[in-house]
Amino acid sequence: MKTTVIGAFPKISDEPGGQQLRTALHKHDRGEIDDAGLDAAYDATTRAAIAELEEAGVDVVNDGQIRWDDLFAPFARAWSGVRRGPLERYYDNNTYFRQPEVSGTISSDGRTLARDWGLARSVARHELKAAVCGPLTFATLAVNTHYRSLEDLVLATADALATEVAALGKAGATLVDVEDPALVALPQHVELAREAYRRIAAAGVPIAVQAYFFPADRVLESLASFPVAQVGLDVRSRDTTVLRRLDAIKDRTVVLGVVDARNTRIETEREIAQTIEDALKLVPAERLWVAPTTGLEYLPHDVATAKLRALMSAARSAGGVPA
Amino acid sequence: MTDQTLLTTTVGSFGKPDYLQKARNQHAKGKLDRAELEELEKKATEEWIRVQEQLDLDILVDGEMYRGDMIAFFAENMEGWKIGGLVRSYGNRYYHKPIIAGKVARPRPWTVDWWRYAQSLTDRPVKGMLTGPYTLLDWSYNEAYKTRRDAALALAEVVRQEAEDLQAAGARYIQIDEPAIHARPEEIDIAIEAMGIVTQNLKAKTISHICYGDFAAIYPQVLELPVDQLDLALANYGYRWLDLMDRHPFTKEMAIGIVDVHKHELESVDEAAAGIRRGLKYVSADRLLPHPDCGLKTRPVEESIAKCRVVVEAAKLVRKELAAVPA
Repeated sequence: MKTTVIGAFPKISDEPGGQQLRTALHKHDRGEIDDAGLDAAYDATTRAAIAELEEAGVDVVNDGQIRWDDLFAPFARAWSGVRRGPLERYYDNNTYFRQPEVSGTISSDGRTLARDWGLARSVARHELKAAVCGPLTFATLAVNTHYRSLEDLVLATADALATEVAALGKAGATLVDVEDPALVALPQHVELAREAYRRIAAAGVPIAVQAYFFPADRVLESLASFPVAQVGLDVRSRDTTVLRRLDAIKDRTVVLGVVDARNTRIETEREIAQTIEDALKLVPAERLWVAPTTGLEYLPHDVATAKLRALMSAARSAGGVPA
Repeated sequence: MTDQTLLTTTVGSFGKPDYLQKARNQHAKGKLDRAELEELEKKATEEWIRVQEQLDLDILVDGEMYRGDMIAFFAENMEGWKIGGLVRSYGNRYYHKPIIAGKVARPRPWTVDWWRYAQSLTDRPVKGMLTGPYTLLDWSYNEAYKTRRDAALALAEVVRQEAEDLQAAGARYIQIDEPAIHARPEEIDIAIEAMGIVTQNLKAKTISHICYGDFAAIYPQVLELPVDQLDLALANYGYRWLDLMDRHPFTKEMAIGIVDVHKHELESVDEAAAGIRRGLKYVSADRLLPHPDCGLKTRPVEESIAKCRVVVEAAKLVRKELAAVPA
């Protein structure tokens, strides 16, 4: 059993010296530092996030998505055919994203995440994974004036994502999270997304579908046969039967969200360990990873790190229980 | 008021003048005491009341000069809450997301003195302004209550006390905002039940502001929200939510947003008037209240005034058209 994180890590903290990136962005806005100065701040914050994840003992880390304003920002900035549009509320979070506006044929040169990945790879000592946005989430939250149907947009998005994933693979990535909350927010579209995942998987790099914010009750069996190496499921933040039905997932690793990354209450070690032990009855330890339910950036930094500590110590204590 | 049709109003907040923003920063650093800050908050409130009168708005607001934001203000003044660390809202914007850490209670009224003060400055009605229980819940972390419904109903009880005190003080309009109401469309029943607690004893006109989200997901159920008037951001959405009302008629008074408050460009009076005319297809003029889409606190002062002026001029233009047409 391994521990991991998904999504973004807090970019700033309330502790002294914890607001360097925020300050740098303000200075950049006012023209007091140049792009290189801002890059340096992003890089320093990324290094610090990776170091924190590793110090906490997380087995498989990511880069904390420090440069991502929202799940779509890097792609909406880089892809042709897309630009960043108006602010909209992001699902049931009091957090906002810029709607991608699709007004032309989407295409990517595959370089979108090259710099981020290169930096993270040079810093990380633990196993490292990359991430991209999910095709269904991108397509259903975009303002589309170009493609004739949702299906066309989902597949065009998937093709661009496949280009990104292939490039990440060439640069050494061996696992890429595809963060796609729309799969569970809009379960009626899950089969439409299957073809999108087939295209992304064809890039030849193992991918993990990460479905969070909503229970996966209605799509569990569908996700179980997606062409992916890993299926990420939130069994903590809302009532769900998924924890009792994990045996639906065979031959794929289950990435189980066991601490609620959207509430400040810290789960007890016993609560978390119990969830893990329940999962181990249905999934062997070699196919089980445990994680926060979504990105830890929905929490203040001090709580995010407390959640990680709780996760790590519960994983250690539950790990001793035979499957 | 000269005319009872197309009464104009605003959603609630206005930008803080520079001297007040500076004073708030000084106060936060402990360099300015509470009484001195309050003097400046009162000065700014009076200035905004005068501006609203000069603009010829019909139903006024106090402008919320004494509030940081619409959650933290209530959290700071309620028992049972903690102010959490910083979390990101978007881009490089952060806020202190509050935590419901224990049983919530209201040790004393929060807004009644401010309402009284603002109303004492003008003959025009001033709205009492509260954040609704579902939004208080949804924009906070809940550590204390077992279910979200439990928390929403407990918050509703507290907001009810404040709303009734505003009514007792003389408020004729009480606005209980629920901008988070569509955060989880499957929970709309909780929002409706909670609002029912807040408004159960109110005779004042009750209003709820809703913005930024998928209104289609909660329509027409939102018509069951027990308030007299829904206050909607429509300009920002190109008025697309009005199409929903072709199938399910709108049954309440509607405050209609006719200028977008999150872009700098100023709408023309004609453009804003066209928005009112679109609304008139669904709501009669005596039940339609033009206003800006949302609170104006993120806009510079001059821009806010310009946006409000467009609203008032557009309403006057359409009123004139209506008067010219024999009924």
